[in-house]
Amino acid sequence: MSLLITEVCAGAIAGGTCILYAAVGESFSESAGVVNLGVEGSMLVGALAGYAVTAEAGNPWAGVIGAAVCGAVLAAVHAWFVLSRRSNQLATGLVVMFLGLGLTSLFGAAYVARTVESFSAWDVPGLSSIPFVGPVLFRHDPLTYLSYALVPAAWWVLYRSRWGLLIRGAGERRHVLETYGHPALGVQYGSVILGGALAGIGGAQLSTAYANAWFENTSQGRGFIGAAVVIFAARQPFKVAAGAYLFGAALALSPALQARNVSIPILDNQFALASIPYVAILVVLVVLGRKRAAEAPEGLKAVFG
Amino acid sequence: MTTIAIAPTRVDVRPAVLAVLRWIVAIAGALVIFGVLMWTKGANPLTAYSSMFETLTRDTALSGIVIKATPLILAALAVAVPARAGLVNVGGEGQLVMGGVAAARVARLFGPGAPGGLVLVGMAVGAALVGAGWAAVGGLLRVRVGISEAVTTLLLNYIALNVMFFLIYDPWKDLAGGGQPTSPAIPVAQRLPLIGSGSMAVHAGILVALIATAAMWWVLRSTRWGFKLEVVGGNAEAARRAGFAVGLLLIGAMAVGGALAGLGGFAQLAGTEFKLRPGFLVTYGYIAFLASWLARHKPVRVAVAAVVLAAISVSGDSLQLDSRLPAATVNVLMALVLLAVFGWTSRRSEA
Repeated sequence: MSLLITEVCAGAIAGGTCILYAAVGESFSESAGVVNLGVEGSMLVGALAGYAVTAEAGNPWAGVIGAAVCGAVLAAVHAWFVLSRRSNQLATGLVVMFLGLGLTSLFGAAYVARTVESFSAWDVPGLSSIPFVGPVLFRHDPLTYLSYALVPAAWWVLYRSRWGLLIRGAGERRHVLETYGHPALGVQYGSVILGGALAGIGGAQLSTAYANAWFENTSQGRGFIGAAVVIFAARQPFKVAAGAYLFGAALALSPALQARNVSIPILDNQFALASIPYVAILVVLVVLGRKRAAEAPEGLKAVFG
Repeated sequence: MTTIAIAPTRVDVRPAVLAVLRWIVAIAGALVIFGVLMWTKGANPLTAYSSMFETLTRDTALSGIVIKATPLILAALAVAVPARAGLVNVGGEGQLVMGGVAAARVARLFGPGAPGGLVLVGMAVGAALVGAGWAAVGGLLRVRVGISEAVTTLLLNYIALNVMFFLIYDPWKDLAGGGQPTSPAIPVAQRLPLIGSGSMAVHAGILVALIATAAMWWVLRSTRWGFKLEVVGGNAEAARRAGFAVGLLLIGAMAVGGALAGLGGFAQLAGTEFKLRPGFLVTYGYIAFLASWLARHKPVRVAVAAVVLAAISVSGDSLQLDSRLPAATVNVLMALVLLAVFGWTSRRSEA
């Protein structure tokens, strides 16, 4: 039983990290008042770019850079349409997602059956041999360790730095920011593009560290789950991380149970198990949703109605 | 302001001309970008475009477009009706699939010996009801809990897909299907009849789609319910003060949309595919979403946009055959067209 718990917790980190990157990125975007459902598309192009660049350059870190750039470019498309052309944020995000889906099937076909020199797990000396904590936290790929630093850094930037004040100001009272001579539009662009870059890195983590494979629509809605996590975590990085790991645990539960031949009625089917993360996030949204919706920045309330 | 007094009072045609020009520039821009993308993949854009066009002039093209457009029109109306009330229904994928699942369930319930007409009506009703229920969840969560319907309907898409996978890989699996994960084909007598003949033959589902388009045109234009939806979409607070049951209107709009998409799933199952399979109506929901936004949610225009996107999709088959690009490539063109329309044809004043 304790082995099962360790396995599910370790799986929560492994499977939740890509969602975490996307959700932390989306926290920046939404704090600045821009909902980007195209985060799913940024994640997809990131996953392909990460995989393709790793394949061509032979170095997964080059893949991460490629993934961040491609994710950022797709988010910049979203930013331009919603910020400079005032198109509907939710609809534009969906179209950007669809664009990412099409682009990745166009450019990804060549990489479907390819294997690459991807990230491998690196046990942190000493720490990885601590009982329970070691296997759960310190036997992962480098991008997972990087995400441990990303969460407090994102929290500090958003809630303790002058930059965060500007970002949240742009989301809350854009015209006030402009009145005082701050480039609100530039801050919003920057936040959306940063969000896309992080989602792209999340995609690279998925394809070159977690799944070690590329196939069409490889992200399977993980970017959308990230966007939903941001809603109930109210854009706060530590809560976002907790939410992302919760859904990582939901993902990890099914292989762990199957490996032990544990049979729970209804749930002994792989597709019922595959639905757990989506059902779980809907349930969490129902429980926590109302309060969070009331706390959203003014700029977001206008989008969500 | 004396300038106003001396301004000539003739009708200015320039905005209309400009609007048409903007559309032309937008679509040309999308075609150019798509051409460049194809070129980077080693395909000659000019031959690719000409073979796409050539596909549309074949005898079989028209029936192919109509068959593809049938579920697209219904699923696009499923976006348009809630959009009238200001809702963003991204759940077309799931609502289509659940409609197909419900239709297959009803066919199983009646069994292969039951009279075709009765089964078809039962399938349509079941598909509409289940589609409505599936979409209403998004409406209910929006009204009761305040979560964006865009997020919930997206998540429900993945659950719907897993529901179908569960059924066709296990309890409904066709044991005579050679190991393929599909449900058993519905018997010939219980399929939608064909209209037209020869290469022009299409199944009767297109009639369902056209009737639904006319019905939604009338409902949104001439009924109290349609009027109320428009008021809610324009200003929910004003609607609330006017004593409208805003919550019920929003849930109702989602349910009507879901019922239409459910019918789309029914038409695809009973008219085209006859069995559920893993790729059943995949990406149709998203293409339908593009169609509705392309046409700004006006039912007749939405149906036309769905037909145009169906034509692009059919012509895109040539990309796979002639230029050896993946089948989903044409989705890029559709997304680019819609982005171009978003970017270049909207007035800045409309948010």
